[in-house]
Amino acid sequence: MSKLTKIICCFLVLLAPLWAQGRRAAAQAGAAAPATPAIPDKNPFESPQDVQQGGGLFQTHCSYCHGSFGEGGRGADLTTGNYRRGGTDSELFTTVRNGIPGSEMGPVRASDEEIWKIIGFVKRLGTAERPTDTRKATGDPAAGQIVYEKKGACMSCHRIGEVGGNLGPELSDIGRRRGVTFLEESLLKPEADVPIPYRGIRVVLNSGQTVAGVRLNEDDVSIQLRDTGDNLRSFLKSNIKEIRRDQPALMPAYGSMLNKKELDDLIAYLTSLKGAR
Amino acid sequence: MRAHRIWTCLLAALAVAAAAAVPVYGQGLPVTYERLLNSDKEPGNWLMYSSNYKSWRFSNLNQINTENVKNLHVKWLFQGRHQEKFETTPLVVDGIMYLTRPENDVYALDAETGRMLWTYSHRNPPRTYNCCGKVNRGLAILGDRLFMNTLDMHVIALDAKTGREIWKETIYDYTAAGGYASPGAPLVVKDKLIVGMAGGERGVSGFLSAYDTATGKLLWRFNTIPQPGEPNFGTWAGESWKTGGASTWNNGSYDAETNTLYWGTSNPWPDYNGDFRAGDNLYSCSVLAMDPDTGKLKWHFQFTPHDLHDWDSTQIPILLDGEFRGRARKLLVWANRNGFYYVLDRTNGEFLTAKPFVKQTWNKGFDDKGRPEVIPGNEPTPEGNDSVWPGVDGGANWMSHSYSPLTKLLYVFAREERRTFTKNAVRHPTTGGDDGGGGFDAAAMFRFRRPRFAPEESWGKVIGIDPGTGETKWEHQVVTPPWGGVTSTAGNLVFGGTLEGVVFALDARTGKRLWYFSGNDRVYSSAISYLANGKQLVSIPVGDVLITFGLD
Repeated sequence: MSKLTKIICCFLVLLAPLWAQGRRAAAQAGAAAPATPAIPDKNPFESPQDVQQGGGLFQTHCSYCHGSFGEGGRGADLTTGNYRRGGTDSELFTTVRNGIPGSEMGPVRASDEEIWKIIGFVKRLGTAERPTDTRKATGDPAAGQIVYEKKGACMSCHRIGEVGGNLGPELSDIGRRRGVTFLEESLLKPEADVPIPYRGIRVVLNSGQTVAGVRLNEDDVSIQLRDTGDNLRSFLKSNIKEIRRDQPALMPAYGSMLNKKELDDLIAYLTSLKGAR
Repeated sequence: MRAHRIWTCLLAALAVAAAAAVPVYGQGLPVTYERLLNSDKEPGNWLMYSSNYKSWRFSNLNQINTENVKNLHVKWLFQGRHQEKFETTPLVVDGIMYLTRPENDVYALDAETGRMLWTYSHRNPPRTYNCCGKVNRGLAILGDRLFMNTLDMHVIALDAKTGREIWKETIYDYTAAGGYASPGAPLVVKDKLIVGMAGGERGVSGFLSAYDTATGKLLWRFNTIPQPGEPNFGTWAGESWKTGGASTWNNGSYDAETNTLYWGTSNPWPDYNGDFRAGDNLYSCSVLAMDPDTGKLKWHFQFTPHDLHDWDSTQIPILLDGEFRGRARKLLVWANRNGFYYVLDRTNGEFLTAKPFVKQTWNKGFDDKGRPEVIPGNEPTPEGNDSVWPGVDGGANWMSHSYSPLTKLLYVFAREERRTFTKNAVRHPTTGGDDGGGGFDAAAMFRFRRPRFAPEESWGKVIGIDPGTGETKWEHQVVTPPWGGVTSTAGNLVFGGTLEGVVFALDARTGKRLWYFSGNDRVYSSAISYLANGKQLVSIPVGDVLITFGLD
């Protein structure tokens, strides 16, 4: 054997255990989550039956942290349509299959097909595609836009695209996420379902002054809010007499401010907002 | 020649003087079993997970006390640089701190400065199966060896002076059933290492193991679900005993006087659906009293028969000798995840009393054996039952409680919350079929208005409990149900931290908050206290940082 051959042989002998170890590791990982060459961009399992099965799988694998209705709890609220790890089908697939490193969310131990079904279900949480809400908007969206901008003054608190305030939820894609019935109820009875991050609180200071806004953060010693003037505020609890949460809706009830046509037009406009996606 | 001898003597004397003034690393080893038994006599050290075998998590140090705690400030930080929950309890032996960092890394630090002395890393495979994070809760020490359990079901012995691996044994196949893990700290009893396991969310079959600390040899294994032919085998319907959970994922306690090991067990599996496991499902949700030499069961007490709410009884047993109704008794006290505080006679498991320490809706009382009278309507339902208190994470969870022999109060960082309990379609993680739907009506889900629990509908509270009666003597409320435990000291202080990162010291007699520090990240563990260079320090993990506080 030449010197070079010897060196190569030695090298291969040294590498062999490493190679075997790698194979073992791959085999172990493979047993748990078979590798797929590429994740499809579009969910291949989206029939009504798939979604139905996804609902059951969601209860088994997800509801422990995300709540029975995807409302969140230990895990994130899945009803908002916004996903921090990406909202495309393939991004959601990756998140569910691999988990989120550094969080409590581990990989979901289900087959690829089952994961797709779960995603089909998750994407319908909090969307307008509720089986019970099939109402169509009857108003004029163009007229509704004028109500939105002028008489309703909705943009002082809500944002569409880059325009508007921050006290209420963004509405850029509200027509994708919410149906007519829900929007109507929100306009007439805003207190019926206020998302937690937008619930109004009033901080009564020891001085007697009251500051209203939405809570941004809180611990045992302080509270942070966005006040109704869109200012960021922080108060030490030692300076606070009381925190009142009895008026969760900062939004006015529009039943007495808009007539029926204006309301219908506004709902038609909101329903037409489908966002950039 | 003479001058030379004088110089030699002088140098030798200087060397001795220097050695006396400067602490020498490693001089605190070995930590004998005798020292572990008498850990209360070494208040400068933190020799085991719960500070002593009675699991009091109490420090006999009082340099930091109710008078001067207002001056407490940060001395040093250990930057964990990891993304997992930091659930460790460090050990401290004569100026050296040993701690685990996720996933299964071990660090030895100078306890006065936080400077690293050595490090050891156990690499887990990319995918492991602990239900709730790639966490580790700490080490045990005996002699000059440290012991750690791992997420991929190994138990490892390290040389405490170098971090060198001495032995590593496989506890079990971590991929079996739905997946096993061992996130807890082990417990040394005599020359044995008691090791638990997790997996109650994944259809495992629970056990507790004892290893020879010298060799790593498995000495005994107790199945927490009775096998065919063993007593209480018939408490599971059909084949459900094979996948019944009942894991042992936290730490235990030991009574040397009676040579009894006490250890809690987890929920039965499936967590929220009992249809296929009719019966009491022993020994899930129980405390086991065992002979640590043989692994034989002496007695058991089941807190929640046929649990449907994931109310593990893996809290750490606290052992007290106290008066109960005028009679001196050896007690075992337990603030359980099911929301009740229990007092048992630890010599025989006799139920003495129980009292709720958080809001609860499921139980109207106990028979004289301690069996709860369950109120109907609290079961999980397919559409989600959101009216049950406490919630799935319980009134107490795994976080440590503390007992102060000075105030004679038990301190519990309790959780007040409700949560939606959903009866899942049952599908075994590995062996179940493809009918994940299980007849579940997805459309029906949309018919319910989704429940939303506002932040103020749940909260946390540190409570001081009279251990004999279960009566709450004081309460300190915090914003969010906690995931950290509490530690009491002879300075009459109770230390802890909240999910928002508020590290606090309360007056152990009144619950009044005397000091706080805004750590601004989640506290997932409990504090320890110890001496470094003669000065009392307090360390607690906040976020991925271990923060150490001192007076000067």
